Amino acid sequence: MSAARDRILGRVRSAVLGRTGADHPGAFHGWRPAPSSPDPVAGFTEVFTSAGGEVVHVAGMDLAAAWVRDFAASFAGVSLGVLLPDDFVPELSLAPAETAALGVSMATGAVAETGSLVLDARDGRRVQLLPPTHIVLVRRADVYATLAQALEVVSRDPPSAVGLHSGPSKSADIGQILVKGVHGPGRVIAVVVE
Amino acid sequence: MSKTRPADYPRAAAATLRDTPEVRDAVTAATRTFDTHRRESWAQIDADRWRDWCRDVKEHVLTHLDDFLEQAETSLVANGVTVHWAERAEDALGILEHIVDAGRVRRVVKAKSMLTEELGVNAFLEGRGVHVRETDLGEYIIQLLGEPPSHIVGPAIHRSVDDCRRLFHDHFGTPLDATPEALAATARQALREEFLAADMGISGCNFLVAETGTLALIENEGNIRLSTSAPRVHVAFVGIEKLLPGMADLSGFLQITARAATGQPIGNYVSLIRGPRGSAESDGPEEVHVVLVDNGRTTLLADDVAREALRCVRCGACLNICPVYRQTGGHPYGFTYSGPIGAILAPALLGLEEAMPLPFASSLCGACADVCPVRIPIPDILLHWRERAVEAGLTPFVERMGVRAFGAAAGRPSTFSLAGGLLRYVPWALGGRALPVLGGWSAERTPPELSREPFHKHWKEGIE
Amino acid sequence: MRVALFATCLGDRLFADACADAVRLLRKLGCEVDFPEGQTCCGQPAFNAGYVEEARRMARHTMEVFAGAEHVVLPSGSCAGMLRRYYPELFQGAARARAEDLAERTWELSQFIVRVLGVRELGAGLRGRHIAYHHGCHALRELGVRDEPVGLLRSAGADVVPWDADEECCGFGGLFSVKFPPVSTGMADRKLDSLPGVDVVTSADGGCLMQMSGRARRRGMTTPFRHLASVLLEATA
Repeated sequence: MSAARDRILGRVRSAVLGRTGADHPGAFHGWRPAPSSPDPVAGFTEVFTSAGGEVVHVAGMDLAAAWVRDFAASFAGVSLGVLLPDDFVPELSLAPAETAALGVSMATGAVAETGSLVLDARDGRRVQLLPPTHIVLVRRADVYATLAQALEVVSRDPPSAVGLHSGPSKSADIGQILVKGVHGPGRVIAVVVE
Repeated sequence: MSKTRPADYPRAAAATLRDTPEVRDAVTAATRTFDTHRRESWAQIDADRWRDWCRDVKEHVLTHLDDFLEQAETSLVANGVTVHWAERAEDALGILEHIVDAGRVRRVVKAKSMLTEELGVNAFLEGRGVHVRETDLGEYIIQLLGEPPSHIVGPAIHRSVDDCRRLFHDHFGTPLDATPEALAATARQALREEFLAADMGISGCNFLVAETGTLALIENEGNIRLSTSAPRVHVAFVGIEKLLPGMADLSGFLQITARAATGQPIGNYVSLIRGPRGSAESDGPEEVHVVLVDNGRTTLLADDVAREALRCVRCGACLNICPVYRQTGGHPYGFTYSGPIGAILAPALLGLEEAMPLPFASSLCGACADVCPVRIPIPDILLHWRERAVEAGLTPFVERMGVRAFGAAAGRPSTFSLAGGLLRYVPWALGGRALPVLGGWSAERTPPELSREPFHKHWKEGIE
Repeated sequence: MRVALFATCLGDRLFADACADAVRLLRKLGCEVDFPEGQTCCGQPAFNAGYVEEARRMARHTMEVFAGAEHVVLPSGSCAGMLRRYYPELFQGAARARAEDLAERTWELSQFIVRVLGVRELGAGLRGRHIAYHHGCHALRELGVRDEPVGLLRSAGADVVPWDADEECCGFGGLFSVKFPPVSTGMADRKLDSLPGVDVVTSADGGCLMQMSGRARRRGMTTPFRHLASVLLEATA
């Protein structure tokens, strides 16, 4: 196997021999018109909702807990992410991610320019993917203007995997008709916590 | 349906247009939608600057590819990933077999990956008694149909809603008037079981970040997230050209790829994978393998003109705008990659002779170059391969003789004029019986009318 | 202003009237028109089919024929594109310099009228006419000719109608049209199927006109197809 490695690298080296220049062009500046609002949360809300996601604003973590408790009342089983605060929502009928109707996750960030939630594997991947409805909490302070900023923060303490979720699961593979919830959640609600 | 080869393109394209014209309609509708979304999305940004930047980053990477590959390997290994190197398809499959045997893998879920198509992974595993299930909805549909993908991003765009209804009716007993939502729900349930029962998930990789060893995979459905999270083993096949220097570069490429492919600001799900599950994590694979694949890419890299094709981010924008591709979809090309990008990759990945006549299956209109997010000069590369084909004697004998004769006459004006005078006697009406090339025209088009007298004669007489 | 006309091989035999109209038009705009003898083919069909040596030979011949010309004007976007964009790439050294020099002096007809002569209005001869303009791929993408022909038609009173597929390839592509006939025909059909009702379809390229009119006639369509040179001459009336 290392012989294959040496041969491949050898072929690469002789292929690029003599080619000069091609310096890195520098940072990507995402050249586009200035966003309608300097507030990243407003930007995130605009892009996330236009992709079919929903956004709710709450003033604090205790209010977020109350909101989730009320929302979850009608769901058969709820699966919670590990990164949620310990005392988050005690009275819920809990279920494993494989059978829960609702999953609740704690995002480590969000991105305004792409409308993305940053989900950490440490929170629990299956909770983020298997239940058909997904609630994701994110703190206002963790909402970044650009994807580059978010990825830089993620890189400081990376888990085994990060998922950038930018709306409900969707596909247009059946005759170009858009359907939601093909594999991932068909409904995703971001709860932005002040 | 057995796979065709590039040499079958003329026959296969003609058959598609003659026997299944609905394919042309379906493909045209789908590609026009993709292209419209791309245009609207690019109107929101400074597309020229984004494209220049992306081209320059990729050029930087490709010019220093050996350094970036070594850096990527070091990062991956530090993350707990096992790195393999495969020169050819059979080597990649051999590596996969070894991992399958070592892990006693019986069931595999697959994320959509053009590279695994190229390598023939599915047939290989099935031949060894491993159950393989495609999980992308479009790939799932064509797997049930037994067809190869027709398009890089939308594998089943050549199939209508009714085709899908019939297919699901045959497989699952769903009603023939089932809604797309009902069909998708059926697929979701069937595939959910597959994800949870699989021993191994196999994926490709859109970008491999050298600095951090991060694998970035783009999708809309969530099947890639599930395929790379639920099973205990994850194998990612990565073409050696997929490298990017750092996470800052990744942020640019994730956005341009999505905007070029479907007009979205980013793919609905992006998986950023570093390695196997952490000790404090409750799920995720226990083993992650990356297979770095050459399979002709170093041949391409060594070609001073064609190597620019290695910048490709597999967005499909060139397919979406190509008026030739729209006529038939991808199947008649007989190669994993179709449309403009397929025509310029095939000669390097398959060899020029095996790739014929794909470099010629283009009118050189240049629309593809207008939309490529990494500015691949596709028409110039097509011309390059055509020149190589002529040098290698791969063009038809009659054509070579005809062009040579024409070229010789064109250097001698009196001869040229004389020969031109003979045009009057060409029996266009006889079409293909007179000369095959005439048949090509006259079958479906009225032959052109000669002017009453050639212009150079009129000039001599004086123009009023 | 002296102008050397390059009729092109297609123009000489199949679009002689359009070439004559180009001469009349240029004269009306105050140009003295030469027709250098010995001109044959620009070499594009051979070049596009991969026959570089033959193309180079034809390019050398063409460069000699037009060596002394101050401006070279072609009633063909694709041939003008060949001279401007690809002739320099066929050569090295002194020959390349000569090719670059020729390229700078070479123009497609409507491009010459607008950019060199500075004429944007030809008259009112097209008032009330509904015209569909086909943008040939080489004129559009190699020469960047888009507004010039449409502007000249409009300023002469024509209604240049919206046409969904106006910038899409007609399927000619030189030898492509006979190497892959059903695909080529399908592309022509796409153009014709989306064509609104018009008095005439026009374009700067004879090959495109041949392809579209050939298919239109076979389909029994009666829409006239005329070369841009002839329509622009009519505009001066």
